[in-house]
Amino acid sequence: MTPTISEIFEQARLATRAFTEFGGHLLHPTVRLGVTGLSRAGKTVFITALLHGLLRGGRFPVFEPLSSGRIAGAKLSPQPDDAVPRFDYERHVRSLVIEREWPDSTRQISELRIVIDYQTGGGAMRTLTLDIVDYPGEWLLDLPLLDKSYEQWSAETLTYLRRTTRQPLPTQFLDRIGTLDPFAPADEYAAIEAARLFTDHLQARRKEHPTLSVIGPGRFLMPGDLAGSPALTFTPLALPTEGEPPGGSAWSMMRRRYDSYRDAVVRPFFRDHFARLDRQIVLVDVLGAFGAGPEAVRDLQDAMVAVLDCFRVGRSGWLGALFSPRADRILFAATKADQLHHAAHDRLEAILKLITEDAVARAGNAGAEVDVIALAAVRATREALVRGEGGGLPSIVGTVAAGEWGAGHCFDGMTEMAFFPGDLPDENAQGADFRSIRFRPPMLEQREGGIPALPHIRLDRALQFLIGDRLR
Amino acid sequence: MTDARRKPAVFAVDDPRLVVADMGEAQRTPANPVVVTDIANELVTVAPPAGRRLPWGTLFWSAMSGLVLMALGLAVTHLVEDLYARAPWLGALGFALAFIAALALMGVILREIFGLARLTTVEALRQRALAVIESDDRDGGRALVTDMLSLTKRIPRLARGRARLADHRGDIIDGRDLVRLAERELMSPLDGEARRLVLAASKRVSVVTAISPRAAIDMIFVLINALRMVRQLAVLYGGRPGALGVLRLLRQVVSHLAVTGGVGVADSVVQQVIGHGLATRLSARLGEGMVNGLLTARLGLLTIDLVRPLPFHELPRPALNDLVGTLLRPSEEGGGA
Repeated sequence: MTPTISEIFEQARLATRAFTEFGGHLLHPTVRLGVTGLSRAGKTVFITALLHGLLRGGRFPVFEPLSSGRIAGAKLSPQPDDAVPRFDYERHVRSLVIEREWPDSTRQISELRIVIDYQTGGGAMRTLTLDIVDYPGEWLLDLPLLDKSYEQWSAETLTYLRRTTRQPLPTQFLDRIGTLDPFAPADEYAAIEAARLFTDHLQARRKEHPTLSVIGPGRFLMPGDLAGSPALTFTPLALPTEGEPPGGSAWSMMRRRYDSYRDAVVRPFFRDHFARLDRQIVLVDVLGAFGAGPEAVRDLQDAMVAVLDCFRVGRSGWLGALFSPRADRILFAATKADQLHHAAHDRLEAILKLITEDAVARAGNAGAEVDVIALAAVRATREALVRGEGGGLPSIVGTVAAGEWGAGHCFDGMTEMAFFPGDLPDENAQGADFRSIRFRPPMLEQREGGIPALPHIRLDRALQFLIGDRLR
Repeated sequence: MTDARRKPAVFAVDDPRLVVADMGEAQRTPANPVVVTDIANELVTVAPPAGRRLPWGTLFWSAMSGLVLMALGLAVTHLVEDLYARAPWLGALGFALAFIAALALMGVILREIFGLARLTTVEALRQRALAVIESDDRDGGRALVTDMLSLTKRIPRLARGRARLADHRGDIIDGRDLVRLAERELMSPLDGEARRLVLAASKRVSVVTAISPRAAIDMIFVLINALRMVRQLAVLYGGRPGALGVLRLLRQVVSHLAVTGGVGVADSVVQQVIGHGLATRLSARLGEGMVNGLLTARLGLLTIDLVRPLPFHELPRPALNDLVGTLLRPSEEGGGA
């Protein structure tokens, strides 16, 4: 596909901004940390735990600058973009520690900047600025649209909808689409009707499978401030494989709206938050997908491949560093590892490696450093062993969240239970008899002087990998 | 795992079969009604390297020392018999003395054996650490940390580091990170002290060589000083070598020096040539002093490599250049004046 004028213009714009930022970064070293993950992957919890650990001096033995005492302190500071809401760190911490509830799903983009004062190994005092962005994971599904034409997207979405066997089935929407003639003159009412059915179906799917939503567009699920605008009033159509839409037809109207969605919604989102990341962490809720079955695992894999295609990853030369910065370290993390005994973490990592195989290989070839870990930003469980035949069951103990079912009764959110989630499936992801249960955030001892450190699994290793080298 | 996959299961917290793993003080919930034990505490034993040739030298020395011991025993027996013949109380005294001497000899031998075994332990620990760094094996890392803690439990300056490390043992940390953590907590206080020891020894050697009236005297001094330094370093890093242990270490170090000498020259040849050249121009004795000092420093660095229970992975290995800078300074100042 030859680049269009708007794409060239876009690239030039990115390059200019990168160049102007480069000068600023020489004076005030800044790391833009990209926290990437589909919805319910744990982005908000990860960011909250990371900030909390840095601000309060968490228990991070593997994060060398902090454990060796070289970090003098860290403080929140005003973010660079005034137009973006602030990440509500205080509310999330309160919700985790005092109310013991996981934060609500993110509805709006938000941003926070943290400034770390540290001393180099040589003895000089320095500061490092860390910019972190939180956003609804649904919007991530939009990134693959950047390189797709309306016709491509339409065909792929329809293929997927016709193939899927997961409840609820999109029969109503498909029936409606069947009656729409792409060559007929554009009918606004019919378009609204179809778009409503399409949106309803996406929403229903999401309600059924909250951890996963492989098809977008993301704003249909989480419209933000765009609800009801024409940019959200389009659907896929059953199109011929070739040809151009006649002027004034439904096809051309849908195509125009798709294009404006892409240019007015997706592109600025990408430009502002993803095009200039220095470090990236990709959070994947592998366990949630396993709980939902093999099709969910396949969907997750497809979604990750599509999303990761969009990022600029790899090491760049000095000229590249001036005009087109790239993420030179990328970490793939299987979140919610506290739902497993640590003996199963290696297998979890192996499965994540398999799911992200292509992306890992590509990033590695481009010269980026890649690592794969199992992580729990906030550890809600303890480990235990249930004695029995065959060495016993390596289990976990925690307060089960209200409304979860297990052993024939519904939990009230107050009882502590020991739980063995079942063995993880082997590498080809066959025959999973695995269940995950949601636990409430851990009960913490109140220490003197406020909020205690949150327990975690390998958050320190993630930090060491992501920013440890910038704090030498 | 393909046939016998275990099913999910839920248990009550007061189930008698339940054993909860220790997570460290900071993470334990306040109301904890269950038994707390540590479940990951298996020691990994290391098999000795198999398939060695028959050690003729060792055999010879063992046999010879056996013979000498027997001769000694015979002589003492004769002596005691003679003493008894002269007067019974004299005999009894002689017997008591001989008994004490034998006991002390046993003690010395035991200590030597213990010291040698400890050196072997340190060597094995280092190999295991390397293996864990390679494989990132969590259980291996935990076992290694346990062993490191017991090896260093007699070193008072590590009390704080040990406490911190022991505190993190229950956390979920991968093998490689555990080794790094152990190195940072346990080795970094010792590394600085080791550098200081090596530097002090080499300074002593260079000064004594420069001012000693006879070559024989500084030869002996260099040797004694080297032995002392090797012993101090070994003790510093938790080994407790006896005389035999020190000799074995020194032998290893010297053979190492012969092997790596060529490589080692490259990293510091400039300093050596410059330092030597400058110093010799001032005085031949000063030059010799410099050379001896540098040799001692290199000996010290090699010894550190051999007696340190963990390899240099996270922390920087002390280089000859760092030491040389400090070593040369006084002589250069002297040259300027």
